[in-house]
Amino acid sequence: MPRKVLEELQDLSRRALVSPVTFSLLFAFALAASIVAVTGGNPLAAGEEMFTGAVTGSGLRNTLGRAIPIVGMALAVSVAFRSGIINLGGEGQMVIGGLAGTIVAIYVPGPGFLIVPLAMFTGAVVGALWALLPAYGQTRLQLPILITSLLLNYVARAITGFLVRFPLADVSVTLATTRQVPETTRMPKMPLFGGVSLSLILVILMVVGLWLVYSRTVMGYETQMAGFNMRSARYGGIDVEQRTVQVMMVAGAIGGLIGTHLIIGEALRFIDGELVLSGFAWTGLLVSLLAVNRPIPIFVTGLFFSGLQIGGLAMQRNAGVSWRLSQVLQAVVIVAVACRLVIRRRDRRPSQPVDAETAGVGEV
Amino acid sequence: MTFELELRGITKRYPGVLANDAVDLAVHPAEIHAIVGENGAGKTTLMSLLYGLFPPDEGEIFIRGEPVRFDSALDAIAAGLGMVHQSFKLFPTLNVADNVVFRQEPTRRGLIDRAAGAARVKDLAERYGLAVDPEAAVEDLPVGVLQRVEILKALYRDAQVLILDEPTAVLTPQERDQLFEVIRRLREAGRTILFITHKLGEVMAISDRVTVLRRGRAVAHLTTSETDPAEITMHMTGRAVDLDRRAPEHQSDQVVLEVGNLTVLGGHGRPVVEEADFEVRSGEIVGIAGVAGNGQSELIEALCGLRETDAGTVTLSGRDITHADVTERRRAGLAYIPEDRYGVGTTRQASVAANLMMGHHRRPGIQNKGWLDRGAVAALARRLVEVFGIKVASVSGPVETLSGGNLQKVVVSREMEHQTPLLIAEQPTRGLDIGAIEFVHGQLIEYRDRGGAVLLVSAELSEILALSTRILVMFEGHIVACLDPRKVAEPEIGLYMTGSHLENQVA
Repeated sequence: MPRKVLEELQDLSRRALVSPVTFSLLFAFALAASIVAVTGGNPLAAGEEMFTGAVTGSGLRNTLGRAIPIVGMALAVSVAFRSGIINLGGEGQMVIGGLAGTIVAIYVPGPGFLIVPLAMFTGAVVGALWALLPAYGQTRLQLPILITSLLLNYVARAITGFLVRFPLADVSVTLATTRQVPETTRMPKMPLFGGVSLSLILVILMVVGLWLVYSRTVMGYETQMAGFNMRSARYGGIDVEQRTVQVMMVAGAIGGLIGTHLIIGEALRFIDGELVLSGFAWTGLLVSLLAVNRPIPIFVTGLFFSGLQIGGLAMQRNAGVSWRLSQVLQAVVIVAVACRLVIRRRDRRPSQPVDAETAGVGEV
Repeated sequence: MTFELELRGITKRYPGVLANDAVDLAVHPAEIHAIVGENGAGKTTLMSLLYGLFPPDEGEIFIRGEPVRFDSALDAIAAGLGMVHQSFKLFPTLNVADNVVFRQEPTRRGLIDRAAGAARVKDLAERYGLAVDPEAAVEDLPVGVLQRVEILKALYRDAQVLILDEPTAVLTPQERDQLFEVIRRLREAGRTILFITHKLGEVMAISDRVTVLRRGRAVAHLTTSETDPAEITMHMTGRAVDLDRRAPEHQSDQVVLEVGNLTVLGGHGRPVVEEADFEVRSGEIVGIAGVAGNGQSELIEALCGLRETDAGTVTLSGRDITHADVTERRRAGLAYIPEDRYGVGTTRQASVAANLMMGHHRRPGIQNKGWLDRGAVAALARRLVEVFGIKVASVSGPVETLSGGNLQKVVVSREMEHQTPLLIAEQPTRGLDIGAIEFVHGQLIEYRDRGGAVLLVSAELSEILALSTRILVMFEGHIVACLDPRKVAEPEIGLYMTGSHLENQVA
C-alpha cells in the first residue's frame, strides 16, 4: 500500500512538472520580476514582501478572507460551465441575492443564530430565482443564456441601486447605502488567525459537496454528460432543459450566498456599486477556467489568487512596487495557461491526410 | 521482371503498438492490387508510409527497381504516386477543373489560363471514361462524382500508381460499378492501382492480386483468380466466418412499433419523410434500405424523439408516443443505436464506464435515491466489456482512445442491455471490420430470437438482405417498396433505391 501511494505521488509530481499551470506560473513570475527589475526595483525584495504579506500575520487572515468570495464565485461559475452553460450572470446573482440577504439581516427581528442563517438562505433563494430568468429564457424562448445572463447584471445593478437610494436608504450618511447591519446579525468570525469569517466553512463545505455531487450522484453525472456533449446526453434520455434550470438555480444560489456574506460578514452596508467594483464574479470566472471547473483545484487556485492580491498590497506598502503588478501576474498566468493548452492540443492532433494533401497539391 | 512498386520489410512502431511488422509488398505494373485487412490491421499506416507521410522505422521502398526515400508526400507524388483519400479534399465553391489544376494551373503570359485547364481536364476525363463536367461547381456534385474529381487530380499530376483508400465506402451500387469500370480502364492504360478495402466482394470483382494484412503483418499474398472469399477471410481473421445467414421464420402477430402516415418536414417546410406507414412485430427485423439522404435519418430521429413529428402517429407497445420526449420513449421500451457513434452515441471526453452507463444510470441498483452505486456502475461496465469483448485497458479510461469497432461495441452493448421490446439500429456496422460486423449481426439476430423487434437502417444492401425479415425501401422521403428478402435480388432493390422504378412507370 505505501508503495502504491509513493508511486502515485511520483506520478503526481511528474504530471505537475509538465503541467501547463507550472509553466505558466514560472513564466508569469519571471515576467513580473523583469518588469520590477527594468523599472528600477528589486524583484527579490518585492517577491519576498509579496509572499510574507500573503501568508504571515494578518496577511494570512486576509488571504483566507478574500478567498471566500473568489472561490465561491468560481464555484458558481464552474457548476454552469461544467454543464456547458455559459452563465455570465454571477455578478447580478451575487448583487441581488446579497441585497435580499442584507434586508433580512437588517430588518427581520430575532436572535443572530436564527437571523444569520435566514439571511444567507434568503440570499441564496433570491439569487436562484434571479438565475431562473435567463434559464427559462433559454429553455422556453431559445434566448442564449450567455447574452441574457450578462445583460441582467445591469438590470440587477439598477434595481439594487434604486432600492438603496430610496426605500432602503440610510439618510444619515451621504452615500447611497443601506443602514449598517446590526452587530447581532453579522456573520461571526472564527478564532482562527485573528478572525476568519465563518463563511470559510461554508465555502469548504460547498467544495466538498460539489466534489461529491460530481463524483457520486446521478445529478452530477447527468449535468456533466450534458456539458460534454449535449446531443449525446439528449439521445441518452437526459432532460437537458430541466438540468439547465436546476444548474442555473444552483449557480444563482451560490452567488446569492456569497453576496450576502460580503455584506453581513465584510462590508456591513450594502453600498451601491460596491459589490460590482470588487470584481469577485470575474476573478471567480478566471479561477474556474484555470481550474478546469473542478471544485478542489478551484479552492487551491482561489487561495493562490487571493494570496496574490493580498500579497500585492503588502508589496506596495513595504517594497514600493504598485499592487497592480499582482493584477499583471494574474493576467499573465491566465494568458500563458490558455496558450499552453492550445499548443498542447495542436501537438496531439493527428496530422496525417490533411497536411499531406495540401502539401501534395502544392508542389508537383 | 521489375515490380512497379515494392516494399521490403517495412516496420513501424508506435508506443505499445507494432503497426507494421516487416511487411513485404510487391506490385506488378498495370495491376489492380487489393490490400485487405480488418480495421486496425495496419492498412492505413502502410499506405501512409508509402505516401511519405512519415518514415518507416525499418525497411525499404523501391519504385521500378530504384530505392526511394520519401520525406514528404511531395516526394511521393514526384515519384508518380497518387492517393485518393476516404474523405475528399476539394474546394466546394470552385468548379471541377479549377479543383483539378489547383497549384498547377496552365498559364498564358503569366496569367492562369482557365480555358486550357478546363480543356485538359475534359480530355483527361474522356480518356479514362470519368464522366465529369469540368465546369460543374463541386458543391453541386454527388459523392460518386467527387471521387472521380479526386482521381482526376491524381491523374493530372501524372500518377502512375494510384492508391484508393476504401473508395467504395460512400458509393451506391451503381456508382461502385462505374468506379470499377474506371479502374479497369486505368489498368488498360498501364496504370497501377492499389485498392484498400475490407469488402471481399470487391476484392473478388476487381483485383488481380491480393495482399492480406493481419495485426500489422502481411499474412498472405494471393492471386485473385486462384482464391476465394473464404480463404481471404481466413487470412484476415485467422478463422472462418459465416456472414450470409438468412433470417429464419419467426412470425408473430404482436405489433411492437406502429407508424401511421408519419410526415416530417425539413428546412423550408419541405417534407423529408412523407406519409411513412409501417409496423414492426416482435421477433422480426425490418430493414430500411435506401441511398443515404432519402429520409432514413429523419425518420429514425422522429421515431426516437430527436426531431419533431409534423403529422401522423407513432405507437410503441400500444402507447401513443407521437409527441413524447426521448426519456419517455426510452421508458416506453425503445433502445437506439445511432448512426453517428462519435457525436451522438458516445461522449468522447467521458470514460468508458460513463458511456456504458448512459441511460442505465437511473436504474434502481445503479443508483439509490440519486446516489450512484459506484460498485454497481463498475460491475455493469466490466460485464458489458467482458460479454461483448470490448478491448479497453480500463473502464475508467477515456472512451476517445477506442478504435471505431470498439466504440461501436460500447454503443451496441449499452443499447442491447436495455432489453427493450424495440431496438432501432442505424448503420450499426458502418466502418467496422469483418470480425466486428459478424459480432453485431449475431447480436441483432439474438435480439430478434429473444422476441425483440428490430428496425434496421443500413446503406449496406448485403447487410439488409442477410438480416431482414422484410425490407422497406426509402426514396425521396417515401417508402416506395416493401419486399421479401427471399424473393428479391440486389439489383431490383437498387432500382427502387434510385427511383428508377418510377421512371419505368412513367415510360
